[in-house]
Amino acid sequence: MRNRVTSEPTGEKKKFSYAVEQGWPEIEGGIEELKFRRQQAQAMGGGEAIERQHKAGRLTVRERITLLTDANSFREIGTLAGSGKYDENNRLISVTPAPYIAGMAHVDGRPVAVGGEDFTVRGGTTFGSLRRKGGQGGFVEDLAYHYRIPLLNLIDGAGGSVTSIQRRGHSVFPGVHGFERSVSLLGTVPVASAVLGTAAGGPAGRAILSHFSVMVRETSQIFAAGPPVVKRSLGRIVDKEMLGGARVAVDQAGTIHNAAESEEDALRQMRRFLSFMPSNVWEMPPVAPTDDPVNRCDEELASIIPAKRTQAYNMYRLIEMVIDKGSEFEIQPTHAKAVITLFARLDGRPVGIVANNPMVYSGALDDKAARKQIHFMELCDTFHIPLIFLVDLPGFMVGEKAEQSGTLREGMRAVYSAGNLKVPTLTLVIRKCYGMAGMATCNKNDIDLKLAWPSAEWGSLPVEGGVAAAFRRDIMSAPDPAAREKEIEAELKPYASPFRSAEAFAVEEIIDPRETRPVLCDFINLADARLRTELGPRARYGVQP
Amino acid sequence: MTQQLISEITGTLWKIERHVGDCVEEGDVVMILESMKMEIPVEATMAGTIKELLVAEGESVEEGDLLCVIE
Repeated sequence: MRNRVTSEPTGEKKKFSYAVEQGWPEIEGGIEELKFRRQQAQAMGGGEAIERQHKAGRLTVRERITLLTDANSFREIGTLAGSGKYDENNRLISVTPAPYIAGMAHVDGRPVAVGGEDFTVRGGTTFGSLRRKGGQGGFVEDLAYHYRIPLLNLIDGAGGSVTSIQRRGHSVFPGVHGFERSVSLLGTVPVASAVLGTAAGGPAGRAILSHFSVMVRETSQIFAAGPPVVKRSLGRIVDKEMLGGARVAVDQAGTIHNAAESEEDALRQMRRFLSFMPSNVWEMPPVAPTDDPVNRCDEELASIIPAKRTQAYNMYRLIEMVIDKGSEFEIQPTHAKAVITLFARLDGRPVGIVANNPMVYSGALDDKAARKQIHFMELCDTFHIPLIFLVDLPGFMVGEKAEQSGTLREGMRAVYSAGNLKVPTLTLVIRKCYGMAGMATCNKNDIDLKLAWPSAEWGSLPVEGGVAAAFRRDIMSAPDPAAREKEIEAELKPYASPFRSAEAFAVEEIIDPRETRPVLCDFINLADARLRTELGPRARYGVQP
Repeated sequence: MTQQLISEITGTLWKIERHVGDCVEEGDVVMILESMKMEIPVEATMAGTIKELLVAEGESVEEGDLLCVIE
């Protein structure tokens, strides 16, 4: 890139008073000036500000980029953007860099666009340059979009400041720096964001418009508006951790997907997420060679399901025995735990696994679990990652609380979203698959292959409970209604056997639990050719319920 | 130090496995709830002695209800 200054005749000799003080030789433009200006950029907000950042348990944005990307791969763009300070003779004294650092780098050998606010410069507030470097509509977004490479956002700022009104002399209309580019990126390249400080306003919104987001426990917070605004608006005094720490934003609300124990952990999770993603929707997700044999049949799978139907088991353990060893990366592990959503590999190929967790709400789908499942299904569908449903689902969550929080609507949105999937799906019923919620675990638009373990059972609703409603008159007129109910249940029970459904070819195959890995690997390998014929962006039509 | 065991789900207290005065280890099942037709074990999150049981068998519990205090 040519520096405009280097090509100009120097005219009146420029001297750099600050540079001289700093022990630099007298600089007269050209390469020497470039070097000086680059040094100014590297210095960020200065030693004191950097020390404050470190004391708060946070890294500088340059340290973050170094940790996140492959060694020496960062090619910065916009290094020289900033506010130059000149003396009365128009000699450069110093440059305060723009509070956003961006560029191109590599992660695991693949190019990415990366950028983040520099909190050491004016707290990472929006910089009034002609062209925004980062954030919504910033250069870094255009870089990702134009070259079809993933975007990694390192968020550490609170967006606009009211001081800009004074500077501009007018206030900015919402959307002048709109989210249009951020939105278009969600359909084209992977976007991962880490919240590494206190994020409110624009940067907070930017974090949400991501395929994957992560924040650090204790040292980062996110909210639509921080404590001073809450106090002014509602008269309530809350501290920022209570308002938007990971316990609220990740565990409870699901605003951000994952929590990290440290900044290093957050950056590691971003890399891990990317390892399952293609660079863009026109490419296939990356295959990683594995030495885990495809035909590995874990004996423990035969006994993992307790004989007693009312007893739960460890779904995580089950998944672990089936997937390539150590390949899992869970999305939203601490939120809406009734459903487990994780990336894994089968014979080296990325898959998305949606599994119900019988240990939480017995696996019943509530409003939050439905939202979590919808995001994950759309994510896999967008990036051509086949989905595997490991089903143990008693139905939608029931009760007053569930109805008040709109479980039926959110649940049906999951059904709608599953019905729109174009990526190959495999449904394996482990135990229960009941009712409308069960329909969110399969896709009948295509081959509609449903596999099951011998422990499986399904129906519109379970025989128990269903009997009381359907045979009410019969039961109530019996001399011993409770005994009659049990009697009818016993009569119907044999028909609930999965083998009866297999006889009717209503489920395509029942497999020995120990064969699960080889069977799933075969179908995932088979999906490869199909996926290759459907690369490109996913069109989404219709109105979500 | 005391710990409070809170119900994670709405349901019915089906069975009390440990009683007031019993010593428990971390991970011991103190009681079993019944919800969504499943047994939900409530486990001690630290070792100690059961000081108080706040619900009786057959009673219904709400998500967030205090079930038991261990000291």
